[in-house]
Amino acid sequence: MGAYLVRRFFLMLLTLFGMSVLIFVLLRVMPGNISDILFESAGLVNPAEKAKIEKELGLDQPLVVQYSTWISGLLRGDLGYAYVSEKPALDEILPRIPITAKLAVLALFFSIVLGVPLGVISAVKQDTPLDYALRVVSLSGLSLPSFWLALLILMGFVHFLGWIPIYTDKPATIWHELALLSIPAAAVGFRASALIMRLTRSSMLEVLRQDYIRTARAKGASAASVNYDHALRNAVLPVITIIGIEAAFLIGGLIVTETVFNIPGVARFLVEAIRWRDYPIVQNLVMFIAVVVVVVNFLVDMAYVVLDPRIKYED
Amino acid sequence: MAVLDHRAELNRAGANATGFFGTARFLMRRYPLGAVGAVIVVLFVLTALFAPWLTAYDPTSTNPRASLARPTADHILGADFMGRDMWSRVAYGARISLAVGVGSTFLGCLIGVAVGLTSGYFGGWYDLLIQRLIDIMQALPLLVMALVMAASLGPSLQNTIIAIAIPLVPNVARVIRSNTLSLREMPYVEAARAVGMSELGIAVRHVLPNTLAPLIVLATAQLGAAILTEAALSFLGLGIPEPHPSWGRMLSESAAEYVRTAPWLVIFPGIAISLAVFGTNLLGDALRDYLDPRQRT
Amino acid sequence: MPRTVSPRIFAAAIVVLALVGGPALAQKQGGTLRIYHRDNPPSASVHEEATVSTNLPFMAIYNNLVIYDQTKDVNSVETITPDLAESWSWDATKTKLTFKLRQGVKWHDGKPFTAKDVECTWNKLLGKDADTFRKNPRAIWYQNVKEIALNGDFEATFVLNRPQPALLSMLASGYSPVYPCHVSTRDMRTKPIGTGPFKFVEFKQNEVIRLARNPDYFVKGKPYLDGVEMRIIANRSTRTLAFVAGEFDMTFSQDITIPLLKDMKSQAPNAICEIKPQYVPRNLMVNREKPPFDNAKLREALALAIDRKPFVDILTEGKGDIGGVMLPLPEGLWGMPPEVLKTMTGYGGDIEKNRAEARKIMESLGYSASNPLKVKVSTRDIAIYRDPGVILIDQLKQIYVEGELEVVDTTIWHAKAARKDYTIGMNLTGMSVDDPDPVFYENYACKSERNYTQYCDPAVDKMIDEQSQETDVEKRKKLVWAIEKKLNDDLARPIIYHDRAATCWHPHVKGFVGHQNSIYSNWRFTDVWLDK
Repeated sequence: MGAYLVRRFFLMLLTLFGMSVLIFVLLRVMPGNISDILFESAGLVNPAEKAKIEKELGLDQPLVVQYSTWISGLLRGDLGYAYVSEKPALDEILPRIPITAKLAVLALFFSIVLGVPLGVISAVKQDTPLDYALRVVSLSGLSLPSFWLALLILMGFVHFLGWIPIYTDKPATIWHELALLSIPAAAVGFRASALIMRLTRSSMLEVLRQDYIRTARAKGASAASVNYDHALRNAVLPVITIIGIEAAFLIGGLIVTETVFNIPGVARFLVEAIRWRDYPIVQNLVMFIAVVVVVVNFLVDMAYVVLDPRIKYED
Repeated sequence: MAVLDHRAELNRAGANATGFFGTARFLMRRYPLGAVGAVIVVLFVLTALFAPWLTAYDPTSTNPRASLARPTADHILGADFMGRDMWSRVAYGARISLAVGVGSTFLGCLIGVAVGLTSGYFGGWYDLLIQRLIDIMQALPLLVMALVMAASLGPSLQNTIIAIAIPLVPNVARVIRSNTLSLREMPYVEAARAVGMSELGIAVRHVLPNTLAPLIVLATAQLGAAILTEAALSFLGLGIPEPHPSWGRMLSESAAEYVRTAPWLVIFPGIAISLAVFGTNLLGDALRDYLDPRQRT
Repeated sequence: MPRTVSPRIFAAAIVVLALVGGPALAQKQGGTLRIYHRDNPPSASVHEEATVSTNLPFMAIYNNLVIYDQTKDVNSVETITPDLAESWSWDATKTKLTFKLRQGVKWHDGKPFTAKDVECTWNKLLGKDADTFRKNPRAIWYQNVKEIALNGDFEATFVLNRPQPALLSMLASGYSPVYPCHVSTRDMRTKPIGTGPFKFVEFKQNEVIRLARNPDYFVKGKPYLDGVEMRIIANRSTRTLAFVAGEFDMTFSQDITIPLLKDMKSQAPNAICEIKPQYVPRNLMVNREKPPFDNAKLREALALAIDRKPFVDILTEGKGDIGGVMLPLPEGLWGMPPEVLKTMTGYGGDIEKNRAEARKIMESLGYSASNPLKVKVSTRDIAIYRDPGVILIDQLKQIYVEGELEVVDTTIWHAKAARKDYTIGMNLTGMSVDDPDPVFYENYACKSERNYTQYCDPAVDKMIDEQSQETDVEKRKKLVWAIEKKLNDDLARPIIYHDRAATCWHPHVKGFVGHQNSIYSNWRFTDVWLDK
């Protein structure tokens, strides 16, 4: 197990290194750089002014030098200066992380609260009209364009309550803040719940057919207690799997939701930074996301070991 | 795992039906949701194929007099603010959505299968390298990846297809690889090797066909996802550019703006996307139930 | 200046004064004005940017030497009022403009304001200061300024190479603030210091900009507001909904397009929405150096084929205006009267006849319905750029031109234009001051940085210089119209139409006056108050 962990750790480092190269190259392949964007509204570019900006930002250096400057800075905890705001990149990224983190955790909470019970019910009532109805509802969550769903929610609030749940950095009360985060989180969670529901349903079906459930039933345990007690415990694994798979996906889903609900989290910030070709922000933010995804996936694998005694990692 | 034998599958599932219609009737009763999905998908494909015959207007021709026209006999789904016929745009939009969905899924699967198959079959350093690449790609959110790709390649139909296809590759490759790994040790593969068949020949002849079932399941699931990703890209200002009638573009640009004065601009593309994705999802679910042995009752 | 105030403008001014400045309404102190912002401003440094995204939130931090009256709805020589300069005068040769400066004014950081600051600011614009601007988009405004001469701490003189009466108009624009000498240009981009009615509080990227009342502002009792808060909402649907829900007091400048106005009216029936010209004309860039439009006959056919009315009808529901480069009448001070306008190619006569003529030209060049000329119409992937492009392509079908829209990422749009890598481009050009000098010099002079098409004709440059020196307004108008005609004949960025759009606010917002011939100069917020 120990050797496995070490091996796993080095593979994680390798992944992160590859990621840094990939995002660095992708950004340079993208047409245009910050100086093009800075002149976007100012008309034709004065080549001297443009060259001056590129020199100031080190964009005239060879790519290898630019890359090593970035990585050595990153290792020292120096993320450099954001191109657009001209503030330290860390000061731009750090305050935005908790916002997105809260949103992601809430979304996950909603998707589990919604997805697991529906999945269990759907499995227990397999092939009944209730099962079909639940599956249709859950699939519809996967079928609506997320920005459309989010906009419909916004319009509903404005129309019926005369109030719009969009983010403000100065919420009146903690309940106000919670409401402002819960509504977009529910929109994201609805979609993720469909995946959780489907996976819970299929693993429940599998479990329900297994011998020990039949034994428990034969021993006279009530149907309900068998279903929900034994079975549910085994349905934890798919939920954890989904968390692993969804960690990266959720951030993608958050981009659109953060845009519609105007939440200044990292997801939307990343899109804006890509648009601005703000390399220090994009590079460091992508690395941050990659670290989160890699660590979450590692924890998910570890959770398997703890929760499912059948799984053992050998070296 | 030899799931390509449909007859055996059907029999095992309890069908004693014969002939196409008998089989269809059985499948419909066994998978009612899947049947609904299949009908939607067929309608979607037919609309896409026969768009020029189903519509009276060019989807890109503007007309000041029809600006924001309500649905009438002339424009059955109304017209957008440039006076373009909505039904034409929705019908031609089916072509684009189909092209994006099928194109990117096909491309993604093609590369994914090639990568997954070779990686699983040959193993070793090559496999390790590919696995790391896949890890890297999976650590980057799909939409971010598509966003960077779309921005790098520039807005056009084919670039959007590529941008959506690339992030699909790791998913496909991973499934195909694990399948290949288990197939590699199968007796008949050993047998083929003993007869002196080339490694590549074995991979293509024996291993590939047996990974088709999971591939079909995966591909149908991705079809809907690809259509939605295009819509999300359009919403973020990338994706298929005007004047091409893309549903995502139509919906994202008129969503809240005309919701009161011209709701038809919001409702119809919204229904079109949701229905198409819903249909492929229903069909995909049914296919998975049918093809995935663990699900069988 | 021998210019008479038109009775219409005069009447409007009286009405505005009665509404805003009159003693009948007691202005209330306090409250924060909440405006939504449409995008992230590139920086807070007004001199370095050329977008209303920077002007709107940051103009109130600064003062100019002179400023267009914030309580009148027109920018003209008559509405120029003192700001940091208490008075100004031209010398006899009309080459020296002297400003007597206000004394006792303090920068927001407490340092005193002196004539040195004026010198510093324009030296930076002239490229004479060691701490230069990163970008200097309006350098051409001051090409005729030889130097800034100081006389003591409170008198500054702009010394010109030749007479240029328009200089004062440009100095009165929201684009011409005075910067402090002691603050670096970099700091001015991130945490600007001014003398203006509001102090900079914070600018969180993509999130919010906050200004707070300057208690030491040199006009006693002003501003009325405690602060201004501008939250940035990039998604148009979200921000309009937020305005409707009362989350904001006011929309961004002209954010409500005419087709959207109906929806806004039905959702927020009490909101006050003022439709005004944007002075951001939609125009075509035609590549005159590469085939096929290096052929003058083909350019003529193109000019004849364009029917401007459907653009206005579709995109602005008929509210937009057809005109030349200068803002059309009635709001524009230099617009061509109809009888002059219709003499320009493509502006008068029967469009069907014009197109028949255009087709004849095309046929003489060997094109036909079965053998159309294929061209790409390049534009940015933004609705206001793209939509006219779609209509243009539709119109070109009439003269055997098969157009395809090529949408270009914003980041490479200007680089593409600079390389002349386009056949036809659909473009938008914002004009900041309703005066021929900035408009023509910025966009058509050979050496201007904002001359996207790099159209360069020494004869035109001479004509621009000539009108620039003319002090008689009526004579100058004639010269301006001659330039308009020449530019149109050369197809140097032919203007398609001038747009109009609405700025909306809820009824409790009082004292805001939008200028009708510039969107860049009415954001001081000195006279705005909230009736809550």
